[in-house]
Amino acid sequence: MAAITTAGASTTATDSRPVAARTTEAVKEYGKGDAMVRALDGITVAFGKGQFSAIMGPSGSGKSTLLHCVAGLDRLTSGSIHIGDIELGSLNDRQLTMLRRVRVGFIFQSFNLVPTLSALDNIVLPLTIAGRKPDPAALAEIVRITGLADRLKHRPNQLSGGQQQRVAAARALASRPEIIFADEPTGNLDSRASTDLLDFLRHAVTELGQTIIMVTHDPLAASHADRVVFLADGRVVSEMQSPTADTVLDVMRHLGD
Amino acid sequence: MIGISLRSLLSHKLRLALTTIAVILGVSFVAGTFILTDTINATFTSIFATANAGVAVTVHGRPIAGQSGGVGGGQNHPIPTSLLATVRAVPGVKDAVGSLFREGATLIGHDGKPIGGNGPPTFGANWITDSAISPYRLRGGAAPTQPNDVVVDAGTAAKNGLTVGQSLPIVFLGGVEEHFTITGVAGYGTSDNLAGATIALFTDSTAQRVLEGQDKYDSILVSAQSGVTDVVLREHIAAALPTYAVAETGQQAAAAAEQSTESTISTFIGTPLLVFAFISLFVGSFLIINTFNILVAQRTRELALLRALGATRAQVMTSVLVEAAVTGFVASILGFVVGILIARALLSVFGSASTGGVTLLPRTVIIAVLVGTIVTVIAASLPARRATRIAPVAALAEALPETQPLPRRRVAIGLIIFVLGCAALVTGLFTSAGSKLQLIGAGFLCVFLGVALLAPVLVVPVAMVLGWPVAQIRGAPGILAGQNARRNPRRTALTAAALMIGLALVTCVAVITDSVRVSTNDAIEGAFRADFIVFTQGPDFNTQAAQALQQDPSLRDVTEVRGTSVIIKGSSQGIAAIDPANLGSVLSLSMVSGTASAIASTNTAIVDSTEATASGVRIGQVVTFDFPQGANVPIRIGGIYTANALVSGYVVSLATMAPNVPTERDAIVLANAANGGSLSQAETALHHDVKAFPLLMAMSRSEYRTFVGASLDSFLNLIYTLLAFAIIIAVLGIANTLILSVLERTREIGLLRALGMTRSQTRSMVRWESVIISLLGAVLGLAVGLGLGVAVSGSLGALGITEIAVPGQNLIVYAIIAGVFGVVAAIFPTIRASRVDILRAITTE
Repeated sequence: MAAITTAGASTTATDSRPVAARTTEAVKEYGKGDAMVRALDGITVAFGKGQFSAIMGPSGSGKSTLLHCVAGLDRLTSGSIHIGDIELGSLNDRQLTMLRRVRVGFIFQSFNLVPTLSALDNIVLPLTIAGRKPDPAALAEIVRITGLADRLKHRPNQLSGGQQQRVAAARALASRPEIIFADEPTGNLDSRASTDLLDFLRHAVTELGQTIIMVTHDPLAASHADRVVFLADGRVVSEMQSPTADTVLDVMRHLGD
Repeated sequence: MIGISLRSLLSHKLRLALTTIAVILGVSFVAGTFILTDTINATFTSIFATANAGVAVTVHGRPIAGQSGGVGGGQNHPIPTSLLATVRAVPGVKDAVGSLFREGATLIGHDGKPIGGNGPPTFGANWITDSAISPYRLRGGAAPTQPNDVVVDAGTAAKNGLTVGQSLPIVFLGGVEEHFTITGVAGYGTSDNLAGATIALFTDSTAQRVLEGQDKYDSILVSAQSGVTDVVLREHIAAALPTYAVAETGQQAAAAAEQSTESTISTFIGTPLLVFAFISLFVGSFLIINTFNILVAQRTRELALLRALGATRAQVMTSVLVEAAVTGFVASILGFVVGILIARALLSVFGSASTGGVTLLPRTVIIAVLVGTIVTVIAASLPARRATRIAPVAALAEALPETQPLPRRRVAIGLIIFVLGCAALVTGLFTSAGSKLQLIGAGFLCVFLGVALLAPVLVVPVAMVLGWPVAQIRGAPGILAGQNARRNPRRTALTAAALMIGLALVTCVAVITDSVRVSTNDAIEGAFRADFIVFTQGPDFNTQAAQALQQDPSLRDVTEVRGTSVIIKGSSQGIAAIDPANLGSVLSLSMVSGTASAIASTNTAIVDSTEATASGVRIGQVVTFDFPQGANVPIRIGGIYTANALVSGYVVSLATMAPNVPTERDAIVLANAANGGSLSQAETALHHDVKAFPLLMAMSRSEYRTFVGASLDSFLNLIYTLLAFAIIIAVLGIANTLILSVLERTREIGLLRALGMTRSQTRSMVRWESVIISLLGAVLGLAVGLGLGVAVSGSLGALGITEIAVPGQNLIVYAIIAGVFGVVAAIFPTIRASRVDILRAITTE
């Protein structure tokens, strides 16, 4: 049984490894007056470098909001977020865009790929946008481990859901970002394709030292991570190291999903 | 179902905004044209009605052969003054007065320049003393009694600061200035003015002298004794008239005058404007098709759901068409209102043609609303048909196919229409049948439709070629711009085709005018021997100028060139007359057979080879010319020459023409520098001589070439202005397609932004897509326009268009402008795209 720490604002990285991203008293509110929703209610959390972290929680717990804010897609109402040494709140739109371009990779649940571009063009898209040339050796390696070699010329609509998500994963890796954010990456996949993708992400962390932060509601997906952070009502309520599907499910039941 | 279309309409009102504007522009053009011509017609109607109020019967000469009737007389058989006594003697006649009313009395303003310039006609007339009959109402001063007295119309007087007692120089028929004293100011009927024209009124004898109507009138105006009806009086008078004269009641005369102005206005203003209005609507319909196609595509799931819930195909179709009809109806009403504004603006451009408000006939509203609504519904019916083909199962489909392959049937139909269009065009251009214009119009229409249908096939290769450099320059945004431009070939093609039409017409006209320019320059260099040319932009001028130049020792070979209309083999044709003695010194005609000097023999003509072939005339043959004076003169063909841009058709000697035309008027006068004198010396002398003739222009050969070029340029500018509506609509179409595409691709743009695309890169992506679409339109437009222009120019051999020229510089400029239009069209869509909310775009709902 993994160690379960109870909720607390003081939750930080649990070991001494360097921090890839952290939030301090992160608050995010939507709407005004009576209609105001507090999606993040003072979250302080750190994600270690070279770690595969999962964020879990029931619907409306704020897990996606947290991911969006940490990834520089959305802004906090108060509090701060750091990626490396950079505080995101101080960045303007252009600087945030550059941060996403250079330091961050994404895998979304669906609509990950530009329909007009081939699989290969989609993989190198962030590099093309940045006006950089891909490193052919690194690219070949990514293509090899994702098993997409014979699919590179295909358009997204000619690929299966699993293949599309693997293209997205390959794209996220291709620019060698500091962190990859994955938002329910297996949400639309069957169990076989899910496992393939998660194995691939695990491999990237273990073999390449990639940092990954993944939002999911699937305990099986979370079990591939090194650490799971549980949210409820916009707060960190629990966290777990070396999770298994069963231990995660227990916590989730406890949280009343 | 109707409720659903209306709700859909409301929720899409922003998406339909540009479609509405396109319909408004097209309809406003149509409505504006009708309102403009109706207003001008109404002005004339009221002028004629009040002016003819006291006239029971009008007597005038029968129309002269080969001449069309019109305002201002001079084209009917003249009435000898002696006929006045005959008419006065008819029982029931109270009074009869002779009226002379002709064009050719130009007032010279305080600035020494002709009043009215080359604009409205300048009439001269005799003052009619019987105020019960006269259309002229004295407003101030007195009637003319002395030979040098003149009364001017109140409108002209007010506009140019002419007052009673002033001295006023007047030029008659392009002659020298004569000085008159203004004795009075008069209205025409109750109007100040005859729709912007100037009227100068003289005593009978002065009018007959200056207007070259010695012992003649153009008409006799008759008032009836009380108790005698106009109809009865007309019969009595008609019975007393010689065969060359006819009698009409005052009402008939007013109606005839009205009808003739109406047809003139419709020919010169109404019909050309309607053609361009139609082009605008045609271009607008492309925009409508695209909008509804995109709306239907975006609503696929909703429409499929309706089908799954039991809606019939017809109901789905109706729901789309109702949306179109309501849009079209609302836009048409707005277009009608804008049309009123356009008509007002044009009326102020045309001068004081209107006395007050505009004339709004119910017919105009009905046509505007019907045209706008029907065009919108017809254009939307293609997308509506597509909507009916949506299968109910599409409601459940995960993803919708991005593009469908282009059906072969469509390509085949496009090809057939294109080929039919080319055939109609070529037949129309080279036939002399009455349906010539209709065939050419249908040809243009089918060529455009055919190319529009075929364009999707061209989109992918052309967009690839155009996109390549963009991708090199702009990187990822450039690559994506190229991809986006060709991801939906039909949509891109239709958008580009709208721009193609405007650009093709511009290019076509540019090719024709350039061909005219080059051919004219050739003719000036080749056929034109004279050092100098004297001409006017108004009606032909009297022989005073030629006589003056003949006296000048610095000049030689002073040669008058005259023109008239004759009827040859049943069709009216312009012919030229020239002094054969000087022919060789001022013109160098290249002869196919015979000699140019053959015209020295009386009743001998030469004719150009194109005309000769067309009408089957051979050298030595005798052809009958039906001259204005009514004489049928047998003319022998003495030679055949090659037409050039200055001389074409039949040419005879002055001596042959003189006895057969009522007056001697010169169209141009040519001259050479005298032997021994320098060219510049002769030119100075010529300019000095011509200064006495305010309406005439004297130019050297090179000046004349520049002048012809400038007139062609101003013609081209007029065409640009008229096509501006169509091009604006096409640019709106590009903006429309882009906005709808941006809305459709919100998630994709959000994804790109998440992956690190900056706002400015996003704008760049949309902007370059726009430029590629515009350039595609330019490529198609220039190609089609070039083809059309070459075809039309090639058919104008009879007018001396000997060379077909391609104005390369213009074409490059058009392409660049098209690119700029692309940038302009993208302004709003780029803003839209750069504001896409990344989170909303990437979050699955």
